[in-house]
Amino acid sequence: MLQTGDWVFVLSNADTLLSGLVITVGLTLTSLSVGFLLGFPAGAVEVYGDGILQRAVKVMGGLLRGTPIVVTLLVLFFVVSVSESAFITATVGLGLRSAAYQSQMFRGALQSVDEGQLEAARAVGMGKLQAIRHVIVPQALRRSMPGFQNEFTIVLKDTSIAFAIGLAELLTQGYNLFTQSGHSTAVLEVFLVISAVYFVLTFVTNRGLDRLSDYYAIPSGENT
Amino acid sequence: MTLLNIEDVYQSYEAEQVLQGVSFEMQQGDVDVLMGPSGSGKSTMLRCINRLTEVDSGDIWLDDTHVTAPETDVNELRQNVGMVFQDFNLFAHLTALENITLGLKRVKGIHPERAREQARDQLDQVGLDGQVSAYPAELSGGQKQRVGIARALAMEPKLMLFDEPTSALDPELVGDVVTVMQDLAAGGMTMLVVSHEMGFARSAADDIHFLDNGRVVESGPPEQLFEHPEQDRTATFLSGLQADQSQ
Repeated sequence: MLQTGDWVFVLSNADTLLSGLVITVGLTLTSLSVGFLLGFPAGAVEVYGDGILQRAVKVMGGLLRGTPIVVTLLVLFFVVSVSESAFITATVGLGLRSAAYQSQMFRGALQSVDEGQLEAARAVGMGKLQAIRHVIVPQALRRSMPGFQNEFTIVLKDTSIAFAIGLAELLTQGYNLFTQSGHSTAVLEVFLVISAVYFVLTFVTNRGLDRLSDYYAIPSGENT
Repeated sequence: MTLLNIEDVYQSYEAEQVLQGVSFEMQQGDVDVLMGPSGSGKSTMLRCINRLTEVDSGDIWLDDTHVTAPETDVNELRQNVGMVFQDFNLFAHLTALENITLGLKRVKGIHPERAREQARDQLDQVGLDGQVSAYPAELSGGQKQRVGIARALAMEPKLMLFDEPTSALDPELVGDVVTVMQDLAAGGMTMLVVSHEMGFARSAADDIHFLDNGRVVESGPPEQLFEHPEQDRTATFLSGLQADQSQ
């Protein structure tokens, strides 16, 4: 049941939640960056690469997509011990997983660009890499936007899974509040507040990305 | 001076023989048209000349470049061979102007300011000076194809290849593109054109090569091929074409 006293308790500890929020936002950014920096080239290798590299990328992607993210984080932290820092471990885990998903997003986007575009670029004398970079990639990135917004939303909310390795992100900080002795009744209020924070973050960022997407959209002549 | 020499070219795609010993040559300034039923190998022949498609055997020479030699630098070769595509293939994310400057900047290494000037001149020549900042999706088919032609011309090629440049256009837009091609021909550009536009062939072609089943069945000036074809196959195909286009 919602109680005034519990609301007062939650709001008076807003700074605790705020420190969690900072970690959550930070982890989202680092994970998405790792995901992009590894996922984009991986997607390109899946489309244009061949041989061992391409096979390795496919196998890695398959493994990462096929493992529950909690398991990945627990293994990275307690078994492999990639770092003593839970933040770095979470960045590696969420980043790799995001790379696996982003690679598929970019693979699809690269493949969706008409073959004639590459041919036309080659026909004026551009090398394959030049043609991909200046003709295919700019179009593929635009087409990846909806997928990227999706991925952003998923990564933002999945940062809460770093709770499992004790990272002081938003969910963990909320947990720390209602587990203080005498405040177990604040559990509902805590969850309502942090859910609202996740929602607002997701909503606002997605609107921002919509704007970005509109700004870079290729004019089609239909709106002029 | 012989600019293009095609000698006994064979090409196959999977199990299918597409070209079966095609030979012909073009002098500098010639305008030749390849005609023939679909699947006869016209487009493949064109694509072998800038190596978008590789030959199985035979030789192609462009000026003193041995096109079909494996060690030939294809990117250098392609700067000398402009290509215009049936589906235009304009770079969808770039304006008309940028479609032209991209190659000038990235391939020829021309300074951006200078590249823009050249691209403007080129668009001017195809009658599109008003569409400099339009994106492909904002242009009509005829305008797109003229940008395609301008993009290829800007690289200052020795030879221009046209792969069915008007087949994707609405009939009322064909004229604009044909006019640009006729001007180009009159200006002395060497052009090899896959097209069934009889009007263009009659007015601009030096020779027509009629292809069927990957072979040149018959070659000759338009009046000879259209009025007095020697082969039955040529006669049947061309009279069908004439009937279609006079409707």
